[in-house]
Amino acid sequence: MSIDHLLKRRPVDFDIHDIDLFSAEDQELKELSSTLGLSLSLEEMWTIRSHFLRIGRIPSDVELQSVAQAWSEHCCYKSSRTILKENVFSIHHPDVLARGDAGVMAFDDEHAYALRIESHNHPSAIEPYGGAATGIGGILRDVVCMGAQPIALVDPLCFGKPDRDLDVPPGVKHPRYLLRGVVSGIRDYGNRVGVPTVAGGIYFDERYTGNCLVNVGCVGIARRDEITRNHVGGVGDRLILCGGRTGRDGIHGVTFASADLTAESEEESRGAVQLGDPIMKEPTIHACLDVNRMGLITGMKDLGGGGLSCVVGEMALDGGCGAVVHLDRVPLKEEGVVPWEVWVSESQERMMLAARKEDVPRILEMFDLWDVPATVIGEAVEGHHVKLIWGDEVVYHMDLNFVTAGPEYCRPFVIREPTTVECVEFPQLPALDDVMLSLLREPNIASKEWAIRQYDHEVRASTVIKPLQGRMNRQGPGDASVMKPVESSWRGLGIAVGCNPWYTAEDPYNGGMASVDEVCRNLVSVGARPHAITDCLNFGNPEKPDRLGDFRDAVRGIGEVCRRLSIPIPSGNVSFYNESAGGVALPTPVLLGTGIVEDVRHCVTSDLKAEGGALFLVGETRDEMGASALFRRFGGRGGKVPDVDVDMLEHSIDLMMDAMSAGMVAACHDCSDGGVAIALAEMCIGGSIGASIDLRPMGDLPMTVRLFSESNTRWVVEVAKGREADFEAAMDGLAVRIGTVSGDTLSVKDGFKLGLEAMREAWTSLATMLG
Amino acid sequence: MKKVCILRIEGTNCEDETFAAFHKVGAEPERVHLKQLTGHAPLDLRRDLMDYDILALPGGFSAGDYIRAGAIFAARMKASLGTQLRDFVTQGRPVIGICNGFQILVELGLRPAFDEVMAPQPQVALYTNDSDRFECRPTLLRMDNRGSCVWTSGLGMGDVVMFPSAHAEGHLKFPAGEEDRFLERLDENDQIVFRYVDEDGQLAGYPWNPNGSPGNVAGICNPEGNVLGLMPHPERAMTRFNYPEWTRGRDGDDGDGLRLFRAVVGRN
Repeated sequence: MSIDHLLKRRPVDFDIHDIDLFSAEDQELKELSSTLGLSLSLEEMWTIRSHFLRIGRIPSDVELQSVAQAWSEHCCYKSSRTILKENVFSIHHPDVLARGDAGVMAFDDEHAYALRIESHNHPSAIEPYGGAATGIGGILRDVVCMGAQPIALVDPLCFGKPDRDLDVPPGVKHPRYLLRGVVSGIRDYGNRVGVPTVAGGIYFDERYTGNCLVNVGCVGIARRDEITRNHVGGVGDRLILCGGRTGRDGIHGVTFASADLTAESEEESRGAVQLGDPIMKEPTIHACLDVNRMGLITGMKDLGGGGLSCVVGEMALDGGCGAVVHLDRVPLKEEGVVPWEVWVSESQERMMLAARKEDVPRILEMFDLWDVPATVIGEAVEGHHVKLIWGDEVVYHMDLNFVTAGPEYCRPFVIREPTTVECVEFPQLPALDDVMLSLLREPNIASKEWAIRQYDHEVRASTVIKPLQGRMNRQGPGDASVMKPVESSWRGLGIAVGCNPWYTAEDPYNGGMASVDEVCRNLVSVGARPHAITDCLNFGNPEKPDRLGDFRDAVRGIGEVCRRLSIPIPSGNVSFYNESAGGVALPTPVLLGTGIVEDVRHCVTSDLKAEGGALFLVGETRDEMGASALFRRFGGRGGKVPDVDVDMLEHSIDLMMDAMSAGMVAACHDCSDGGVAIALAEMCIGGSIGASIDLRPMGDLPMTVRLFSESNTRWVVEVAKGREADFEAAMDGLAVRIGTVSGDTLSVKDGFKLGLEAMREAWTSLATMLG
Repeated sequence: MKKVCILRIEGTNCEDETFAAFHKVGAEPERVHLKQLTGHAPLDLRRDLMDYDILALPGGFSAGDYIRAGAIFAARMKASLGTQLRDFVTQGRPVIGICNGFQILVELGLRPAFDEVMAPQPQVALYTNDSDRFECRPTLLRMDNRGSCVWTSGLGMGDVVMFPSAHAEGHLKFPAGEEDRFLERLDENDQIVFRYVDEDGQLAGYPWNPNGSPGNVAGICNPEGNVLGLMPHPERAMTRFNYPEWTRGRDGDDGDGLRLFRAVVGRN
């Protein structure tokens, strides 16, 4: 079917069409939505038609494209908003200073920090290097436009299994290729802009084969009086577009992100992947933060999804204004970019500033010093309409209240019954020595040093606790990193990730809760008190009730724990449609948590410190093997997914923080994948020292459960010499003595005995495998 | 108070911690864009290189390092600032190039500069690490200078310091077949300042030497000793809390970087 007769070309010397929605049949409306790349439903097309019928004219292509951007799942959260409002947005805390493009939290009396995480999944599945790099670029802008200097990047990634001989379906790229591309993209962009990559995670599962997940988080620091608004100050403010030029790259990025991937995505959507330029970004950050510090701007917002079409509307509307923009003044990368493309392009490295007219010349001078383009393209006006002008022609004139009032759906969902303890099928296990080595080799547990050391995690010189911890050139894994962002203060900010897609797949509610528990455990392990969380919620197609049910339950679990612990979630991101022909990605809520360290000089690392140190297990171990690393590795089925006792979590955090401040803790590592056994092995590897362990005090449980159960809210702690009794008393019955640091083997009574080198060799095998 | 010019262009990204390092030892540092020295800036922001006592070229990826690390920054400096830079160096004012800054010094011909202040062509190059990867890792350096270098006057010969490395191109490359001659000459001229070593202070291979540089050379100076270039980052080692093993016990709050920066700021 042709829809050409609905496209009315205007008699002007540039390319613009009006779209005759009035005479279009329903089938033609659908065809329009698909041919023009709008990703709008028929119902949404009807709503738009009604609006223009009221106005009494048909829309231009610029207008129609603009509404499609604003109403995409990516921009308006139409399927998730109701669920998020109920569970996440409603957690209030006096330390939340702003909820803008990034959340802003109080750091100390003079400083605040900004945090945000988002996904760049679909672009990375098509073009891993560029997708990941521009993901970094986007999250940096979210933090910068709050007026904050980025100080840390965090990159949790999910891929299919990295086996060399894996067969992948048509249109899907091999996980190893994606992994290499993504890590290189993060490395080349993050290292070039000079922001350390301090935390993350790489998760492997066959359900990510056609749906890799690339989440990117950023934390920034600002003086409190430098926190900016994301909107114009008032009528007459000039709109200054700065940074990169605008081109055809990144057209329809948000509508592309709001649909499933198909085998044809590569061909059809290559243009939706933006091109990154860190060496434009780096001076743009300098210039933006400089003019902000100089008090020259009234507001700032980054150009991300939807490009100019989203940023102009939101900046004007939130400032109680309308806007007039001269679209033909936007600096272009190439000739012949037509008005609607300029309006929705997602070309990278661009920021929009609002400023009083008299401050414009100085701002332009500052950008010129850095050789960064900056152009006045419009101004804020009375009212709530945005008008776009190209030459002398008005190409767009719309009421912001209509454009930004995107649909909000309460889509149907179904809640699944979680698996129960009764249907547990314990796997056949080899000897425990071999089980241990096999788990250490498992790509989800094995060392990620290969990636970590390609990222500069120390630039800015404020990473006081690093992602790898222990003896130099023999480090083990850390649970969290700690930044010391203010030169004159010992106060620190812990940064950690919590994510367990396997729990979430089997039991979304417990999975959501467990993610919060994990991020808290990780922060506490280094001596940081959990303070805020930003979440990236990666799920399947929300139009399918079971996927939305998973989403709803996971969010409910996250919200439940955060509310009771009083941990706000001041920013976040939802990524739906992580589906491809091969199936749906694991439901993956990724949490980036921040914690306050009162004095970084009291921080603790995971590596065992000294011969004779007393080892304790903190927290209760239950028979919770469901979705455990052991079951995944050796084919166990069913079992209870670890539950979270929120009161116990809260109490444990308090006791652990007190013990750490009192200097009782020499080393600490949380128990997660692989349980107590893997935690102990990793602590030995980092400290290059063994331990002699007896797990009988853990209670009446089978040895395999003691070793590998992944019950939440647990840590292995090495207590400083002479403080054993103090620690045991302080922990109020939550800690049991399980052994002593000694020798060069990890030996567990009635369990296994492994030498340090054997464990290290197994744990570092992933690097060898990836080459 | 010593005035320090921390010179930058787009892609320089270690200027904040380099600023903090000089500030910590009591100098008066300023972040200066190259265009501020060449008259291409608003009047109130123009600066004169000769008004500064010390010049620092910080780390980063100047201009993206898309051609050869440091090459673009060096070309721009040479074209617009060449004479002043030569004067600055011949007058004995201290200059330091860290990481990308070292790469820039090499590209400028300021390192190793055996016979002249600034060679017309680079005599050596900083080449891709043997691992073929960016390497961010702590490195131990032995101070091997016999006394010519002003930057290390606060360190004793044989002292081992920890300055972290973070680079993809740090392998010092000499003209083919002349490796031994260059190394000998550097040593004769007392131009070798730092060598990568292991925990026992001995020359060792990867990962102790993160890039495979011959002779484990990590940093060199000019024969006069006022210009130092090194790959590892002393400005990332200003307190002991920057150390990879600080939670394993170490005395005092100071980091090894302090001794380097203090040496030039304390002079006269």
